Amino acid sequence: MRAGRPRRSRQERLAYLILLPALGTVFVIVTIPFILAVVQSITAEDGSLVGLRNYARALGNPLLYDALRATGLYALIVLPSEVLLGLAFALFVHRTVRRPALRATLYVLAILPLVVPPVAVGVVARLIYAPGYGVLNVILMSLGITHQEIQWLGRPVLAMLSVASVDIWQWTPFVYLVLFAGLQTVPHESVEAAQVDGANWWTQFRHIELYYLRPLFLLIFFFRVADVLRVFDHIFILTGGGPGTTTQLLSLYMYRTEFKFFDMGQAAALAVVVLISISVVYSLITRALPLERA
Amino acid sequence: MRRNGLIYASRVAAIALGMAVVGVLYAFPLYWLVATSLKSKAELYASTISLVPRHPTLQPYVSVLIDRGFWVLLKNSVLVCASTVVVTLAVGLLITYPITRLPVPVGLRVGVLNWALSLRFLPPIAVVIPYFAIVRTLQIYDQPIALIAIYSLFNLPFAIWMLKGFLAEIPMEIEEVALVDGANRWTAFVRVLFPLAAPGLLAAGIIVFTFAWSEFLFALILTATPNAQTFPVGVQGLVTQFEIIWNEMAAAGVIAMLVPLLLMVIGRRYMVAGLTFGVIREK
Amino acid sequence: MKKRLTRRDFVIQAAITGVSFSSLPAVLAACGQGTATPSSSKPSKLVIAAVQGNEDGPLKKVAPAYKDQTGITIEIVEFPYDQLFEKLVTTFQANGSSYDLCMMDDPWMPKFGTLGALQPLDSFGFTRDSDIPAVVYDVGTWPPPHGPVPPSEQGKSQHLYGITIVGNVEMFMYRSDKSGAPKTWDEVLSNAAKYNAASFYGYVIRGKATNPVSSDSLPILWSFGGNIFDDNWKVQLDSSDSITAVDFLTRKLKKYAEPGPENTDAADRSRLMAIGQAYQSTVWPGEITGIVQDPTVSQVIGKVAYIPMPQGPSGKGLGMMGNWLLGIPKGSKNGAAAADFIKWMLKTDNMRNYVAQGGIPIRKSILNDASLTSANPYFPALAQSFDAVPNWRPRTDQWNAVETVYGTQMNKAVAGLATPKDAMTAAADQIRTLMKNAGYPS
Repeated sequence: MRAGRPRRSRQERLAYLILLPALGTVFVIVTIPFILAVVQSITAEDGSLVGLRNYARALGNPLLYDALRATGLYALIVLPSEVLLGLAFALFVHRTVRRPALRATLYVLAILPLVVPPVAVGVVARLIYAPGYGVLNVILMSLGITHQEIQWLGRPVLAMLSVASVDIWQWTPFVYLVLFAGLQTVPHESVEAAQVDGANWWTQFRHIELYYLRPLFLLIFFFRVADVLRVFDHIFILTGGGPGTTTQLLSLYMYRTEFKFFDMGQAAALAVVVLISISVVYSLITRALPLERA
Repeated sequence: MRRNGLIYASRVAAIALGMAVVGVLYAFPLYWLVATSLKSKAELYASTISLVPRHPTLQPYVSVLIDRGFWVLLKNSVLVCASTVVVTLAVGLLITYPITRLPVPVGLRVGVLNWALSLRFLPPIAVVIPYFAIVRTLQIYDQPIALIAIYSLFNLPFAIWMLKGFLAEIPMEIEEVALVDGANRWTAFVRVLFPLAAPGLLAAGIIVFTFAWSEFLFALILTATPNAQTFPVGVQGLVTQFEIIWNEMAAAGVIAMLVPLLLMVIGRRYMVAGLTFGVIREK
Repeated sequence: MKKRLTRRDFVIQAAITGVSFSSLPAVLAACGQGTATPSSSKPSKLVIAAVQGNEDGPLKKVAPAYKDQTGITIEIVEFPYDQLFEKLVTTFQANGSSYDLCMMDDPWMPKFGTLGALQPLDSFGFTRDSDIPAVVYDVGTWPPPHGPVPPSEQGKSQHLYGITIVGNVEMFMYRSDKSGAPKTWDEVLSNAAKYNAASFYGYVIRGKATNPVSSDSLPILWSFGGNIFDDNWKVQLDSSDSITAVDFLTRKLKKYAEPGPENTDAADRSRLMAIGQAYQSTVWPGEITGIVQDPTVSQVIGKVAYIPMPQGPSGKGLGMMGNWLLGIPKGSKNGAAAADFIKWMLKTDNMRNYVAQGGIPIRKSILNDASLTSANPYFPALAQSFDAVPNWRPRTDQWNAVETVYGTQMNKAVAGLATPKDAMTAAADQIRTLMKNAGYPS
């Protein structure tokens, strides 16, 4: 026992030796912008310190709350859809598709939306939903389903659904891939045992597969929520935030404050508020649903 | 028995039909992207939209790559993304190896992992201006190195979590055996651990490459000329004020798709393993 | 059991960390390729930040001729409209030297002038040429020679900072094979009602949010006697004239407009005209050369005529300037060479060549040249628009923000989500707050 201890402490020292420079550098690179943003948020255009005035303006701006509402609505639409659809597909393929060739083909099909640049996705979406030359209306009218052009991008509800549909199209395959891979690791014996016992697919899912998939669900949830807070490209091209400000989500709103209004102080204050809020919410969530158990 | 089988079969058929419909909906945008990229300018201005290109042509591709000189941007993208993979994996290993293979306090391990995940929540738009200021101060504006640094930073969370999964799965005994045999840590790492972790590294590398490939905001702000501009910047540039050049835009989109697609297809064996982030352990 | 760090360990780690930090910038800088060195002699190339699209197409075509004549390569870096503005502002704020010349939309002039971002052209020997309309020099001068001047800029001496290379003035187009030219906006409305049919829209509204709908609606606003600001920067958007104008566009004309006007941009509008599905609309010369008169895509060549803006009830028909100017960023190290290039672009022969490549000229002699009219049917209308001294957008450094607010509310009105009165009242209130915060009189 005693002979073992110096060796372990040497290993621990080695760990810190390797870890700290890398971690420290990254930490600095991540923190400097935050500090710069804080500094910018308390200075006026001419360089004088103005205290919390920018924060008051940022938080008092009703457009901020419109943006938050829009972002929340967007998240409420896309997150459940992506998770449920992805799960449904994963379960279906896992249970019914046996041939490796078919599975490989599905894999390739599923990664396609991940590799298309968001700008191109936005443009294709525009080609589908736009008034006048949008191909969706053309198809619907030629099938006789509707006789008048539907304003997919012009009505507030439809516009939100349109931009949400693009997100769902892009990210459901990702959820599918992750969950499908997860299902592969479920041990066959447990499944077979359950089937012998006469369990139907729902019970089988609830008691066996769900257990294995739970950590993945959490991870997916975290990554998708983070992405929804950052989503920008395809909405910018599809609606530009319109009609009015219906689809002006948080990052579009911040973009507008920064690059259209050039209100650097308010933009910086907004950035600081967003960063702090996210950190707080994040720590609360991870405390309640820890991803990494000790 | 037979009736059960019939109900079961019809249910599967119904689900399959539903899946087929969804499949068509899913594949259509991709088809439309490719179809638009093969149309000529005149066809875009026709009074009626054709579902299949009437006179398919590869002219948009030629125009994008050669006339507009986007192949330079493509080259930049490859350079930046490949370098990002190297840097991200290296830094990721530096952070992940100690906390998975060496005895560190559990609190530190959990803390580092959680902190890494929280980085993903950073909205780029919130930090783009401070980074612009930093890049200018360091005099690396319009240089690929600026993008490599930023992309590595934003992809680190993903890489850390994937690497953690792979490294944690490899039994400690393997390294211990090498150490007992007289090798030092470094040799043990290179000779024993690395080959075993290679699939994970490959998977992580491919995913990092893909995410870095499509990045647009920083590429726009931190570059000024084709010296460092990447492909997505060029693609966005086809959305002009008075004319969106649909066919060339679609062609650029298809080109942009092909590189990461190729990588993902080649590395598919490792991808499946990589996508579970090693969170699920083989029991 | 936790192990405490000994002092020795701590020092080692701190040293390593410190070394890696301090060497990081050096490493990064070494990896970079170094910045441009100031050149006292002739440079080998000039870099122009240009707007991607019809506006810089002709520029790209004539640039090689400059190389043949002077040996200086012209490198053109293109960005879409929004990104060009962001790029220029961030470059100016950092006093960057990446660009020797930049294309600017004239509404950006106030922001750049206020920032002091450009090198004055008069120091390079530019004088007023009588063949070039005076308004072209005016629009490139800061502070502006007429109209309200922002409070922070009053008292600054005037300098010329940019010269137009794309003579954009917003005009009006209509299908001349169907009718004669409308003289007033009321005629426009009655013609729209008369000729509106399925798949042939009486009037096409360019209603997409912010810049597009703003550009499209301002001439109408002005022709009805409305305005965004008066001469003292007081907001006029909620005046009865302004609201009448908005009502005219978003209620009366909309009846005969294409479906989905709140999402229609210039590209969509010109496309409708080019495929023969539109009767009339406002138009920019760039759209004319690029789409409506382009034989490869247009089905209506010879059937469309171009006139200056129709008159409103006030009797005025006010066109709107949208000139693209060429200016020299302060950070450029090749100011003299850049100025030479601008002078070269303005020479009459070069401008004729530029026109042959699809460029939009500013010289009166070229616009009134009868031999060019058949190839460029909009020249006479453009010449008349210049003579009538078109209006320009309010010369405030807050224009971007103002345009965003105004354009969002107008878009709402076009979409039918708000009444003209509510939309303009909301816009007026927001703009008042905005201007007050920026130090303008309220």
